Amino acid sequence: MKRRSLLVFMLLTLPALSQADRTWTLDQSTLTYHMSHPLHEVDGVSHAAKGKGVCHSGECDFLLAVAVKTFNSGDTNRDLHMLQVTRGAQFPIVSVRLRLPESSLASPTLDCDLEVQFAGNTAHYSHVPFTQVIDGTAHHITGTVPSTLSDFKIEPPSFFTVPIKNEIPVRVDAVWHPS
Amino acid sequence: MALCRQFSVGWARVVINALALMTLSGTSLALAAQAIGQSGSELATKADPGPAALPDAPMPAVLAGREREASTRETSDSSSVQDKQQPKPGEQSPPAPPGAPSLADLGLTPEQIRGDNKEQALLDKRTQMLKIHQRLGLITVIPVAAACISSAGAPPDRNNPGSTTSRDVHVALGGVAVGMYAATAIYAIRAPKVSNEPARGGIKLHKYLIYIHAPGMILTPILGAMAFNQANSGEKVHGIASAHSAVAWATAGSYVAAIVAVSWPIHLKHF
Repeated sequence: MKRRSLLVFMLLTLPALSQADRTWTLDQSTLTYHMSHPLHEVDGVSHAAKGKGVCHSGECDFLLAVAVKTFNSGDTNRDLHMLQVTRGAQFPIVSVRLRLPESSLASPTLDCDLEVQFAGNTAHYSHVPFTQVIDGTAHHITGTVPSTLSDFKIEPPSFFTVPIKNEIPVRVDAVWHPS
Repeated sequence: MALCRQFSVGWARVVINALALMTLSGTSLALAAQAIGQSGSELATKADPGPAALPDAPMPAVLAGREREASTRETSDSSSVQDKQQPKPGEQSPPAPPGAPSLADLGLTPEQIRGDNKEQALLDKRTQMLKIHQRLGLITVIPVAAACISSAGAPPDRNNPGSTTSRDVHVALGGVAVGMYAATAIYAIRAPKVSNEPARGGIKLHKYLIYIHAPGMILTPILGAMAFNQANSGEKVHGIASAHSAVAWATAGSYVAAIVAVSWPIHLKHF
């Protein structure tokens, strides 16, 4: 009787265990935005992003977030101006959400649909390609988000009355680990 | 006695010129500063109308949802990335279903996530004041350069010792330069400080150069007045007054260097 109930218990619990949530953690990251102006080419870098992924029922939801003020362009005055222009005090966090099929996580290329919240607005970017290099448990992912100022209704700041370019691509370089 | 009278007349000219300029610029500064103060408080008021009036606010990612993401995928086709950039400003995401990561799951505290409208208003005011500082600073280059150029005619003309027109023009241009410089400086000094971080980049050199051109802007007219009086009394410019020209050129040089420093590095590859 005991054996039978144990068998029934295992039969019921094993499928459930196989579908248990699998989580991913962001270990290292480098996010770099690039700003272009006829007189200036500027890169702002942040290593302070945090991220987490949760897989359930074959689908994985990822969230990556970074504080706007952590971007460093090498000039405090420019960084404070960036913070003002992007309303970084009012909306301090940039967040990126994406969903991927769990089966695609081992693929060398990832086709991602991103939802980016920034400066009080949300933009969607579909089919953004990322490359993936798997080294042991580390998944090294690189790619560029083709973001623009107008996507987030940010008025382009100007220098000598010439505004900066609308395109502000953000390069993502991140190392994820399953846990 | 006559020397004293000439000295005081020369000083009086310089002081009257300077006072007139400072009064004019001071009045406009006060008005402009008031306007900025008002707009700053307006910004603060506008920025803090309460949560109900902020449809654009990106709710914490807790609210960002799978449902909208799913619907976006349903409507998406296989067109290029550029075609698919569809910003949806002002939309508030539906709540995320249980299990999806949230900002809190990333270890971000509510204080880190919450926006600060007052700080934003302060940043806006800072930018507004520094923009005026930048414009005035660039405009000030004109009278500074004009004063430097007109300095060629400032020394007494041996062929026509009674004529002081060139010198008066130089004094007037110098006065305008000092007045404009003071107005420029006030906007930088009064801009709100929003960060205690030590300065990095070009702004650091821009600030260091203040220690050269600010004393220079004070010293130059004083030495100029001394030189003016010595020249008017028929004397050869001597003593500390003879440093007027050197101090003026050092001041002008450091002033231009400060402008270049804050604009550095310049890439001209697009031209």
